[in-house]
Amino acid sequence: MIKFFGELFVNAAFLFAILAAIGYFLYARSEEDRYFKISNWLFGLQGIFLLAASGLLVYIILTHQFNFYYVYNYTSSDLQLKYLISAFWGGQEGSFMLWVLFSILIGLGLMKWTREAYRGPVLFFLTLTHIFILSMVSGIPLGDATLGASPFRTLAEAMPNAPFLQSNPDFVPQDGKGLNDLLKSPWMMIHPPILFLGFSMMAVPYCFAMAALWKRKYNEWVGPALPWTLGANVALLTAIFLGGYWAYVTLSFGGYWAWDPVENASFVPWLLGTAGIHTMIIQRKSSTSQKASIIFAILAYVAIVYETFLTRSGILSDASVHSFVDLGLYNQLVIFMLAVTGIGLGLFFYRYKELPRQNKESKLLSREFMTFAGAMMLFLIGLVIILGTSSPIIGRLFVENPTPPEVSFYNDWTMPMAMMTAILTVFGQYLFWKRQDAESLARDLTLPVALTCVVTLASIIIGEVRNIYYMVYLLTAWFALIGNAIIMIRLIGKNPMLIGGALSHVGFGVLLLGILASSAYNNHLLDPATRQYNAAIKSGNVTDEQGFRKTQTVDFLELKLNEPKVVNDKYRVTYEGYTLKDQARPGQQEYRIKFEPADGEGRQFTLNPQVYPMLASSSAQNIEWSVDPDVRTGLLSDIYLYVSGSSYVQQKNEEAEERARQRRQVEPAAASLQDSAKTHKIEIARGETASVGPFDFTLKEYSQETDESLQDSTVIAVRANIEVTQRGSDSSASVYPLFSIYQKDGKNWSYAPPTGIPGHSGTVQFSSVDPSTGKVELTIRGVDKEVQEQWVLLVAEEKPFISIVWLGTFLLMGGFSISIFRHWGRERKKG
Amino acid sequence: MKPKLIIGIIAIVGFTSLLMYNFGNSISTYVNFEQAADMNNAHVVGSWDDSEEYGFSMESKQFVFHMKDEAGNVRRVVYPQSKPNNFEQADRLVVIGSMEGDVFYADEMLMKCPSKYNNADEAQFEKANAGNS
Repeated sequence: MIKFFGELFVNAAFLFAILAAIGYFLYARSEEDRYFKISNWLFGLQGIFLLAASGLLVYIILTHQFNFYYVYNYTSSDLQLKYLISAFWGGQEGSFMLWVLFSILIGLGLMKWTREAYRGPVLFFLTLTHIFILSMVSGIPLGDATLGASPFRTLAEAMPNAPFLQSNPDFVPQDGKGLNDLLKSPWMMIHPPILFLGFSMMAVPYCFAMAALWKRKYNEWVGPALPWTLGANVALLTAIFLGGYWAYVTLSFGGYWAWDPVENASFVPWLLGTAGIHTMIIQRKSSTSQKASIIFAILAYVAIVYETFLTRSGILSDASVHSFVDLGLYNQLVIFMLAVTGIGLGLFFYRYKELPRQNKESKLLSREFMTFAGAMMLFLIGLVIILGTSSPIIGRLFVENPTPPEVSFYNDWTMPMAMMTAILTVFGQYLFWKRQDAESLARDLTLPVALTCVVTLASIIIGEVRNIYYMVYLLTAWFALIGNAIIMIRLIGKNPMLIGGALSHVGFGVLLLGILASSAYNNHLLDPATRQYNAAIKSGNVTDEQGFRKTQTVDFLELKLNEPKVVNDKYRVTYEGYTLKDQARPGQQEYRIKFEPADGEGRQFTLNPQVYPMLASSSAQNIEWSVDPDVRTGLLSDIYLYVSGSSYVQQKNEEAEERARQRRQVEPAAASLQDSAKTHKIEIARGETASVGPFDFTLKEYSQETDESLQDSTVIAVRANIEVTQRGSDSSASVYPLFSIYQKDGKNWSYAPPTGIPGHSGTVQFSSVDPSTGKVELTIRGVDKEVQEQWVLLVAEEKPFISIVWLGTFLLMGGFSISIFRHWGRERKKG
Repeated sequence: MKPKLIIGIIAIVGFTSLLMYNFGNSISTYVNFEQAADMNNAHVVGSWDDSEEYGFSMESKQFVFHMKDEAGNVRRVVYPQSKPNNFEQADRLVVIGSMEGDVFYADEMLMKCPSKYNNADEAQFEKANAGNS
């Protein structure tokens, strides 16, 4: 029933998207108002049906209907509500629906605010993209193939070859596969929706550019398109920031950026969109760069579709950490991409001859030239990143079966270009607000240049920079920061709404500084012995058994319980034990790592990295562990660490291996093992504590047991309350072993069953009680007498100035946001 | 006009060819251990050889295992991180690093894990995430 309605609603939305597109097409041609009204209704119906379909999808997720593939594949019944809701966009199908939902909202805005000549074509092209995206979730059978992959398909439809379905087609699994543990993070709630908001907003400049080409009105479109493009940029930037922050604080990649194709997928459209914003701004001011504005507006959306293709077609599955697998959408994605590119560039070249051309060339020292050059640099950076990301395709020109490029490829190309862009921002801003010749510009630039030199020199000396490349980099970054800051201060006096551009450029300079400082001065926290060893490796003095030079450094910090170590001459680090936190994720351990300043001055703090078993892929015989790092954020530097191994994890792994061995072998072997387990007897009085192996046993009290379930012939029954604590852990468990004497055949017998120690294979037996002293004898079985050392293996890093990276990003967001208000406000006044 | 155009064309051609040349150098193809002998940053594809001892050593702080490449060569692989968390499940491994004699020193490791019960041949590489020894 739900399946029927779900698929009906999705396809109704698909159908109404097609009808609305036809309607808008007729309206754009005839400009008759009735077509516009009808099309708007069709567009709205599309939205209502899609909303209904989304509601149904959320409903089957919330009600755990595991006969649906989508529900089975992305959720499980123990999932918290927030992650169940996130599962809506956790998979490909749902995320396509979310994308169109946002796009429909944007469409409603465009309907209301776009002026006459453009609104028909704009809405036509927007609806056209809906047709393509909705076709991905349609699920209509077309001969042998299916159009898209329906989110409402059943398990049997999705996995016809699964053995459990072949034997019983109506089989419904008890539970789903669950959300990947790494995605169980609050960021999952917010990061994907903002990203898709950015994706859908980036369609707006594309639609406006196409409308301009269709209606042959090449100038006015940039006004209304600008705020939308700026909005798309802020959304993408926010999504990129959230993704980077998420990767940094909860995944163990160790950084905020890794040039992963999925990261690039949102970064390239941002770069092209930003390039477009620059050309649109000069087009609005001086009626130049019409061609560039149209091209960038087209390419920014093409980049979004292309990167969607790369990440969703499965083509990158060899190269990316987290790209989707192919759902059989490869061909549809190719068609979408070819259509967006073909229609865009096709119409552009069809109209090319008509497009306004510049009669006069821009002077070198003009805002037109500088801004255009800056846009070109952004465009080129985008091209380099697309080239790198496309290595599985373009790399075939060079080698068969190409690998992704080395990370240095991205850094070596983008950084120098970013440096040039940084210089251009200052020239661009100085020329933007005032017409200048070489002489007046030189006079104006004296102050920023002088300040930049001083600050750069200071940072070279303070930061002990020895690398000439870094020095030049610092110079350009400080120049961008200082030059734009001066402009910004002057503008605040005039009209604070004008500072958007200058503020963004200041943010760009800050970002560049942050990138250098955080990546060049990244330090592993290591004890002196390891640092010496690494120094020897670097100088080539360490060889292995066969006499080959060793090249790999050791980046671990090993800590024994309560034995502090001094790292990097800066901190005294102590492992203080762990706590089991079953309520967050079953089996999760929270470790306590105390940091004190080595010289005793300053504050101490404790970091709490976590380790947890990935339940979805673990079994009793083999546990897979995952980690959750902890970060102490500081103004100047962060301390980042995660637990790479611990005695607790090792013990659990050994127990799992033991279980696996027992499973393979015949049972008696296990039984004999049990018999030979070591036995220890301890005697303790009330309130006393005794230790066996890794455990401390404390007798809290014992009391007469009056339970009726005991045998009638019981003479006396005593139950002890014993607290068992594993050393290193501060969580304890209580056991209540029983000691009783009963009569049978005129004789006294004792009955004292062994009680298991929670979370351990050993047992405690209350073996006797001494009435004269009140002491209790406990027999402990299956616990090794030898105390296992408690240790933890950490990967700890000091990451300086990450905060500067975030600050730069926030300033960029702030600058763009101010510009949105300014351009939006001006457009509204016009209308 | 003319000289500017020429400079422009030279700049574009120069930039493009330098970029493509550098790009071509920075990618390589997947190789076996023998081909990797004199390469830096070699990507070797293969599978875990579970007949040999493997594991993370607390003394050397390295994860050591044996891998059989697609040509059938078995080599010891040293990876200076803890054991990736789904190592045993992976049916294909990619190790990135260089050979020193008969030992491959991996700086990075990717794993391809089989996904069960799917009609499409879908499998995914995962970057060797921090796991636990």
